[in-house]
Amino acid sequence: MPGNAPFRHIGRPMPRTEDARLLAGGAAFVDDLPELPGTLHMACMRSPVAHGRIREIDTSGALGLPGVHAVLTGAELGDRIAPMVADRDKAGFRETRRDILPADTVRFVGDTIAVVLADDPYVAEDALSLIVADIEELEPVVAIDAALADGAVLVHPEIGDNIPFSIAQTTEGFEAAFAAAAAVVSDVFTSTRLAGVAMEPRGCVAQVDVGLDSLTLWSSTQVPHLLRLAIAELLDWPESRLRVIAPDVGGGFGPKAHVYPEEILCAYLARRHGRPVKWIGDRQDDFLTTTHARDSRFAVEMALSADGDILAVRNHVDVNIGAYACFPFGANAEAGGGAIYMPGAYRFAHYDFRARSVMTHTAPAGVYRGVAAPVAHFAFEGLLDRAARKLGLDPLALRRRNLLRPDEYPHVNAAGIRSDGGSHHECLERALAAIDHDGFRAAQPADRRIGGRLVGIGVACITEHTGQGASRYRTRGLLRVPGMEGATVRIESDGNVSVAISQSTQGQGHLTAFAQVVAESLGVDPEQITVSEGDTALSPFGSGTFASRGAVIAGGAAYRASQEVAAKIRRIAAHHLEVAEGDIELVEGHARLKGVRQMALSLREIAGIAHSLDPRALPEGEEYGLEARRFYDPPGVVLSNAVHAACVSIDTDTGQVRVERYVVAHDCGRIINPLIVAGQVHGGVAQGLGQALMEGVHYDETGQLLTTQLLDYIVPLAADVPDIALCHVETPSSDTLLGIKGAGEGGVIGAVPAIALAVNDALAGRGAMVSRLPLSPEYILSLMTMPAPGR
Amino acid sequence: MTDTPPDANAADRRLLRTTVNGIARQELVEPRMLLSDFLRRTLHLTGTHVGCAHGVCGCCTVLVDGATARACLTFAVQVQDREVQSVEGLGEDPIAAALRASFHECHALQCGYCTPGFLMAARQLLSETPEPDEETIRVALSGNICRCTGYVNIVRAVRHAADSLAAARDQQQGLSDAR
Ligand code: FES
Ligand code: FES
Repeated sequence: MPGNAPFRHIGRPMPRTEDARLLAGGAAFVDDLPELPGTLHMACMRSPVAHGRIREIDTSGALGLPGVHAVLTGAELGDRIAPMVADRDKAGFRETRRDILPADTVRFVGDTIAVVLADDPYVAEDALSLIVADIEELEPVVAIDAALADGAVLVHPEIGDNIPFSIAQTTEGFEAAFAAAAAVVSDVFTSTRLAGVAMEPRGCVAQVDVGLDSLTLWSSTQVPHLLRLAIAELLDWPESRLRVIAPDVGGGFGPKAHVYPEEILCAYLARRHGRPVKWIGDRQDDFLTTTHARDSRFAVEMALSADGDILAVRNHVDVNIGAYACFPFGANAEAGGGAIYMPGAYRFAHYDFRARSVMTHTAPAGVYRGVAAPVAHFAFEGLLDRAARKLGLDPLALRRRNLLRPDEYPHVNAAGIRSDGGSHHECLERALAAIDHDGFRAAQPADRRIGGRLVGIGVACITEHTGQGASRYRTRGLLRVPGMEGATVRIESDGNVSVAISQSTQGQGHLTAFAQVVAESLGVDPEQITVSEGDTALSPFGSGTFASRGAVIAGGAAYRASQEVAAKIRRIAAHHLEVAEGDIELVEGHARLKGVRQMALSLREIAGIAHSLDPRALPEGEEYGLEARRFYDPPGVVLSNAVHAACVSIDTDTGQVRVERYVVAHDCGRIINPLIVAGQVHGGVAQGLGQALMEGVHYDETGQLLTTQLLDYIVPLAADVPDIALCHVETPSSDTLLGIKGAGEGGVIGAVPAIALAVNDALAGRGAMVSRLPLSPEYILSLMTMPAPGR
Repeated sequence: MTDTPPDANAADRRLLRTTVNGIARQELVEPRMLLSDFLRRTLHLTGTHVGCAHGVCGCCTVLVDGATARACLTFAVQVQDREVQSVEGLGEDPIAAALRASFHECHALQCGYCTPGFLMAARQLLSETPEPDEETIRVALSGNICRCTGYVNIVRAVRHAADSLAAARDQQQGLSDAR
């Protein structure tokens, strides 16, 4: 790793401060919080049909059950809760609404049709079975093609079709460039719908102070500030009386970055009944109602010159986003991402994209780690393999030829995204060496067969859009995503340091990493800094934790605020030590004259002075307190890059793919804590492996969800994931504070194409190439029995 | 959900006597109450988590009479007169202490939701197989799902804990040989 010379704490592989309580069983996930006196437990009745009109819901049986406090339907609720409207009508966008508790129309199996409040969670569940719902079943549309067909049933008839978002863009001269190509390769790449499967299902608790009409809502969310904004908007409740707290959150991965009806309902019902209201989802409910993702299709064409230069790319993306536009990101997250993320590590000047979001009678689909990028790169890398074959070029040579070189940066790609750097070639060579690519090739038989298995190697070069600031969200047309983050750094009167960050953490080690950043500025040990997140009452406003923005943006805000406090410490110390501010250094909990131990004030003394608890006075004109609140909004977006290399083997009898070895060489700029970054990459790779090989949400043609448990929806286990070797390449960004780039999603973005390419290689003797995910045993067997094309 | 008239459940409470983390307990419980709910709701031992309630994810793993069990598939009344140990009760057990230290050092937990279950499963593994190889560890932990870590550091941490326990044993051996 390159030297981190100026830094003492940033860059250290420091084990996390959050671990001890989690290891002792002392965590406080939302369902672990002590139950508030008088708590009512909410249970939700979900629509059993994908599309239907509610005729009547008979709640009398449920109401008669002892312990049941209330049952609420959409008809009774009326318009007391405003609908979620994620997008407004404007170019490319059509406004649709989601009723928190539909009164007339249900649009997916899992839409909420009634809620029960009871003294006990078991009784609340019992009561659900006593509700009788009379719903007229209507014809549903489930898949993309059906929803796009002429005369298709409309999910939201008011928009006239099933396309709430579409965008198209073509670079000037595209057609001419495409026509001049020596070779064109094309294919349609599809991805089966996924679930995020955070191990902690969603849940929340709402408590209202009746006298003050103020709310505290604890929720398993990635976006406490955006959730508060939503409650204020939908319940017409001043934000000043709302506090949202994300306690410990058991994984997020994107789905928990959305606002859900249950959160709004708990808040509403707590206000209405004057008692705490608690809802904890179970796994089955989570599969039904938590947002899905990646139900997409990429029709892609690539035009190349005879010697293998990529000249132009055409990319038509359709994404099945389910029944409702997700709140607050709206209908465009995946489709827009599918277009924008495709130009990555490779050079090409001409790009034609069209992206559409398509509505169906299935659960809403939204952001999930990597968003559309894993499939976009799967498609792009897949085309490169096809191009290499068509042109008779070595796949690696083709990639080396087209990978952007360091001297081509800063680079504006064909989608208009500017990037300040990319170490693609270095990462490629490091990954190839680490996985011993040459050794593997030398040992690999021409027919790929070793015993009963086919072996292959895949190398994918990817980029990851991280640290997106306000300007990106405005350009993308997102109404409710501010883009910036905030941090407060405060030296308490006893000299201890408190930090509050506008995000929430779901396991990414924020409390440790941001302590390292602040420690860097203040010259104290990170262990002595108390970082809090997830509480809107304690932290400045901000966006939340998603899209690999934590380290870059919240890290930047923490750095700024701590620098401001450090400057004040220096001023106070300089005044009392009677030296120049510029000669003060902050080390080991002291402000001292550079290199002179005896000329020092402890942070405790300085805090005493700043809080008027010390005989010495503040310098003239200096405010009391030792605290700063700062925001950070980075310019645009910063691209991390990585090369993933995978060795796989395929059982020729069963079609089962096993990942044998795995290497990642990646560059996320300046690293705050390499231990945490490695963990992010490992976890991402495992989720990518899941998407590549096994995971899939399935509906039948009537819109019934078939995968409702972890027995049906298979995620990787310890025996499925190999050890993962990591090479850190560290090229600090010149666009962000401290040179940080994000690292949360690269793992999954790289793993999907790398594993797919390795399977292509293993199947090479047969001429087959994969084009749909997951690469299930049945699919692989079907490819193995296919006649080799063009032979 | 149940077909029994629900009010019958409340009426039909049983006296449960059991020992949890070394403390004798006596509580009235509904026969249908799950052990996971008994631990979490009745005894406020919330370290045992519920990730699926179907016996798949292992988040709820506890020890009943020293063997791992799924608290979400066990009724509370089934632990009558038995000893239950949850993550809170691992205390200074040397294997558990080594595992906690290794999990911390190796960054084997992220959100931590799955962690108590992994600690219980890994403790069981190391008490039966003190020096497992990587394959053995992976197979032994395949009853637990972690969605954050990709298992990489969990497997390394278990290996690391096994090594440090072995080193401690060797040292102990060396000391007693010297005596
Ligand atoms: S909660 Fe018991 S195995 Fe998942
Ligand atoms: S650490 Fe989050 S599920 Fe394992």
